[in-house]
Amino acid sequence: MGMDMSDRPAVKLDRSDVRRSFWLWTFFSHANYNYERLQGTAFAQAMVPIIKKLYKDPEEIKAALKRHLVFFNTEPNVGGIIHGAVIAMEEQRANGADIDDDAINSVKSGLMGPLAGVGDTISQGTITPILLSIGISLAAVQPGGGRGNPLGSILYFVLEVGIMLALAYWFWFQGYDRGREGVTSLLRSGLLDKLVVGAGALGNLVLGALTFQFVHVYLTVTVKVGDGTFEFNEILDKVMPSLLPLLFTLLTWWLLARRRVSPILLLGIYFVIAMVAAYPFFAGSVVDPTTQCPSILHEFYQPDCIPPPAPAS
Amino acid sequence: MTRVQASPLALRVSVLVTTALFGALIFAGPAFAQTEGEGTNDLVRAALVGLGYYLSNSPWLLGIGGFFGLYRPLVAGFIVGIIFGDPVTGAEIGAAINILYLGFISAGGSIPADPSVAGWVGTALAMAGGLSSEAAIALGVAVGLLGTLVFFTRMSVDAVFAHWADARAEAGDADGVARMNWLPPQIFLFFISFFPATIAVYAGSAVVADAINNLQTNAPWILRGFEIAGGLLPAIGLALNMRFIFRGTVWPYFFIGFILAASTAGGINIVTIGVIGVALAFLHVAFVGDRAERAMQSRGA
Repeated sequence: MGMDMSDRPAVKLDRSDVRRSFWLWTFFSHANYNYERLQGTAFAQAMVPIIKKLYKDPEEIKAALKRHLVFFNTEPNVGGIIHGAVIAMEEQRANGADIDDDAINSVKSGLMGPLAGVGDTISQGTITPILLSIGISLAAVQPGGGRGNPLGSILYFVLEVGIMLALAYWFWFQGYDRGREGVTSLLRSGLLDKLVVGAGALGNLVLGALTFQFVHVYLTVTVKVGDGTFEFNEILDKVMPSLLPLLFTLLTWWLLARRRVSPILLLGIYFVIAMVAAYPFFAGSVVDPTTQCPSILHEFYQPDCIPPPAPAS
Repeated sequence: MTRVQASPLALRVSVLVTTALFGALIFAGPAFAQTEGEGTNDLVRAALVGLGYYLSNSPWLLGIGGFFGLYRPLVAGFIVGIIFGDPVTGAEIGAAINILYLGFISAGGSIPADPSVAGWVGTALAMAGGLSSEAAIALGVAVGLLGTLVFFTRMSVDAVFAHWADARAEAGDADGVARMNWLPPQIFLFFISFFPATIAVYAGSAVVADAINNLQTNAPWILRGFEIAGGLLPAIGLALNMRFIFRGTVWPYFFIGFILAASTAGGINIVTIGVIGVALAFLHVAFVGDRAERAMQSRGA
């Protein structure tokens, strides 16, 4: 540094300066998202009110701007704790503390990875899907065939934006108030893990309910047992309601998570299966959906449609 | 909370743009939905969908309201529904399409698909073709895969503006640096998102409607295939999300949730399930609590 710090007056940031920086980041974190720096220019934009308040020397302003224009990428809401800590460091630096560029850079580059991991798990991996599940379940066509309620869309939007904003604001000021050591201790405290686990329990419950509502797999095959004929699907449902959709979803999970099958490939496969299942092999080229069952993989179109003939035995 | 009178230019512009664009989206839609099928109105409706698609990628709705709000087909479908005069159907279609993107995560500057274009353009096309929400899922997926083009174009070109920001920094111009982060990239984004989406809806609506009419008479099994796919594909969206949470000590709750819904034949309200879930989550954390770090780790991972 080599500058004489004693002759400069102390510069203090107001909470409103930190807040202004928060809003700039919240709005513009992804305004110029790009392959070269990702959120780099957005970090610089968020630091502009801080830099203008702390530094008056044009050379220092220039150096500070360049310092914050480098590559940066993290989860924008939880990751705001980094910005808070960096703002605190800039404030100390402007007041003569021995904090060089490397110290600030290492806080940014050291924390952005871990917080992207934790942050994405919290915001995109749990909170968003849980709230989406609730909104989707309300807004979609209901299990009995009733109309959906578009309030589900509004409810999701309001809750999601409210919760994310509160979370982002809290993390931002945690970073500013605790400083870089505080951030590390918060990450080690296990608080975030508890949040993730609790959200995981809730998320699984909601996801299970959603699986029932949206995954529909039927085997409309009749089985001859002794004198009577039985719907295969009815027999399965007596074992457990909607057993097939549950097994099908677990199979899909196993393929994606354990066998690492590409989701796009799986999309293609399932689509082909659906098309093959829909092709009226049994019923000639055109099926009248009011009298004939459309497919062996779909529920009966009409309650009393004629199912495909059972294989001769 | 903020003192608006002293806020930088970017914030003032954003408040203005948000109010104007969002207002246009909400209020102009129903007004045009009143009159039936005139060419100009079709174009205006298509443009409103295009505007919504741009907004969902933009920073103007608090940042969060874009990516975490309008970007989601659940929200997009509802607003498209308003634009076309039937919010209930719009929300139903959007909700169905959104199931596939339940496990959608954008990390490290890449996206596997574009839920937003599936929600905005997919819902509009499905409504134009009169598709059921189940059949609309397959259409949404196809549109969503195309949408990644917009994202990758943007991610590549925006790097240019980072260098413009460098030049402003070299000149010591702090406001200039800030401006380079939003003004040029947003103008560019508007061009590559608004126009393609508007054209896709305006030109695509008739094509999709004709195609579906045609299939209805000549090959109805294809449409049924769409609906069967609509029952199978959600498993992928659900499983993609399960990758993150169906693990550790919390996976059994998935089965409890499924049984709760299945045994009541869907009669149990999702909000009820949510409340039960919050209670169970608290109990789980209270009892597993300090072992929380290990609780989310999957076997062998």
